[in-house]
Amino acid sequence: MARHSKLQKQVLSLYRQFLRAGQDKPGFIPRIRDEFRENARIKKTDVMHIEYLYRRAQRQLEQLKDVNTKQLGSFSKPEEKS
Amino acid sequence: RYKMCIQPLSKFQGSRNFHFSIYGKKKSAKISDDISTQYPVVDHEFDALVVGAGGAGLRAAFGLSEAGFNTACITKLFPTRSHTVAAQGGINAALGNMEEDDWRWHFYDTVKGSDWLGDQDAIHYMTEQAPAAVVELENFGMPFSRTEEGKIYQRAFGGQSLKYGKGGQAHRCCCVADRTGHSLLHTLYGRSLRYDTSYFVEYFALDLLMENGECKGVIALCMEDGSIHRFRAQNTVIATGGYGRAYFSCTSAHTSTGDGNAMVTRAGLPCQDLEFVQFHPTGIYGAGCLITEGCRGEGGILINSEGERFMERYAPNAKDLASRDVVSRSMTIEIREGRGVGPDKDHVYLQLHHLPPQQLATRLPGISETAMIFAGVDVTKEPIPVLPTVHYNMGGVPTNYKGQVITHADGADKVVPGLYACGEAACASVHGANRLGANSLLDLVVFGRACALTIAEEHKPGEKLSPLKASAGEESVANLDKLRFANGSLRTSEIRLNMQKTMQAHAAVFRTGSVLKEGCDKMDAIYGTLEDLKTFDRGIVWNTDLVETLELQNLMLNAVQTIHSAEQRKESRGAHAREDFKDRVDEYDYSKPLQGQEKTPYDEHWRKHTMSYVDPKTGKVTLKYRPVIDQSLDEQDCAHVPPAIRSY
Repeated sequence: MARHSKLQKQVLSLYRQFLRAGQDKPGFIPRIRDEFRENARIKKTDVMHIEYLYRRAQRQLEQLKDVNTKQLGSFSKPEEKS
Repeated sequence: RYKMCIQPLSKFQGSRNFHFSIYGKKKSAKISDDISTQYPVVDHEFDALVVGAGGAGLRAAFGLSEAGFNTACITKLFPTRSHTVAAQGGINAALGNMEEDDWRWHFYDTVKGSDWLGDQDAIHYMTEQAPAAVVELENFGMPFSRTEEGKIYQRAFGGQSLKYGKGGQAHRCCCVADRTGHSLLHTLYGRSLRYDTSYFVEYFALDLLMENGECKGVIALCMEDGSIHRFRAQNTVIATGGYGRAYFSCTSAHTSTGDGNAMVTRAGLPCQDLEFVQFHPTGIYGAGCLITEGCRGEGGILINSEGERFMERYAPNAKDLASRDVVSRSMTIEIREGRGVGPDKDHVYLQLHHLPPQQLATRLPGISETAMIFAGVDVTKEPIPVLPTVHYNMGGVPTNYKGQVITHADGADKVVPGLYACGEAACASVHGANRLGANSLLDLVVFGRACALTIAEEHKPGEKLSPLKASAGEESVANLDKLRFANGSLRTSEIRLNMQKTMQAHAAVFRTGSVLKEGCDKMDAIYGTLEDLKTFDRGIVWNTDLVETLELQNLMLNAVQTIHSAEQRKESRGAHAREDFKDRVDEYDYSKPLQGQEKTPYDEHWRKHTMSYVDPKTGKVTLKYRPVIDQSLDEQDCAHVPPAIRSY
């Protein structure tokens, strides 16, 4: 069975940290799941892209952990009639 | 490329089509599930917010943190890249290191410099606090230039005199060679790291969150990942700087786009005195880069094509160190009368080569380099080609002397709860119709600190926030979405260039009624072209096309107010010089003795502040007026200065 690479383990660990940090604040968990699922499509060889997202995620995690961040909402457009 | 979102053009008339929900809880099946049509909004709560991290913003931010408030500082630039860093001249303070000095003489000079449009209580506050403010900066570690005895070196600067104008040139501008702003900003930044302010760097503030006439926070766009952030706080301080970029040729950075003024305008609040735009006499011809007034303070002189020191004719006492508006006008007249230099005879020279090279190297190293790079001139041998260039905006968000934003209704000033302003974005008004050199850096630190002190006086850290509607900030997001997918025919850069050229041609140093009126009509038309905008980048991460377009919207609001206010003001005062109304129109004619004169009614004279409002949808400007505050804070200690004729 293919084991996870170092980078994959880091991303999984980051995912766990995010889920833990977002537990008590409404709205974060679904968004975290959506973003990670969306970006799971990136090829494993596209290391530059993955590392860029990883660095950015670390900054976002710091912000999430900050006591002043309270909730995540979203503004959405109603669906277009096509 | 992170995310390419190609969306069909959706026309949003207004803003009510956006739906806010806590992420994940969808209220209705009609809302799309697709991650790309949603704008995630992170909500933050603080005790105080500061928008802008220049001199005034940093001083307010760490002043608040020092007082125990949980503070956030939102800035679109890294703090040390704010435009304060480009300031060269110095900070005025009556320390008395070069000769005997008194802050009341500084008070007099500032009131006279403002052409009696400045609020004397705010000027009293600023000039009285000046020595303490400079000493505080020195204690923070700012590396001032020193005299032989080790005291802070003070140089001569425009408009500064001793003994209420009768004692000759005063030397009260404390400086750090010719890079005072750079030093100031780096000192303040270093100091701010000692406190626990949360910095949100590269977050573009979109709008104020207002409810029932009270400011409850700010909504901002994180440029790095495209997320929206709503910051809720009891107290918001605006310190976003000026809007030099509304003109084609200016000394300001590309980021000086008047964002704070525009946010306040969109919130339905007035801006004050926007028609007063300062043209700095010595901007390099062509490049527009600033050559500090400190050159003239060190002995530099302005000469015309005949090699004459022409300022002696226009300002016999102060000569080249007259107030900036006087010098700019004199230069423009010389050029118009045909005594300009160069192949097109359209600028004048600033001569420094008669000064000892050692003095130039110690006191003016930065401009020596600037002149070499941008004009190809060696200052020890040749003069620098200069032209009056847009440099500073005296007007801005109206505040009282404590830094609280005010509106004027039913004949009285009314404080807007929760909103404060300081720095170039504010109009306290210490500069009135014209700013003296080196008073701006002073304005930053004094009023930055004043905002923090006022907030500490009126509120306590950890106060419960008043409730805010869940969908607050919806219009801002709708506007953002509209601009992101804009598909008209004119690019942002084209509309911006049209606006800049129109402002430069129609609202310059000398203004005429018919030219201003033409300018107003052109600007109204250009405002209308914003509907026909085209942007190219549809992404949300680092979308500089979008950010530039937001900045253009902000600049446009500032520009229309500037030109309409200028067209309406039928007099010449300070930096606003009208060819068709050459005199100042006050309540009395101060060129004659007051005995027996009848007071002109308030509606007919012009010694009043302009308060301008804009309807953002149509671009229509409404003008109201507000009286000038003529009493100082303590008449016993420092009597107010009654109006008189202004000559140097």
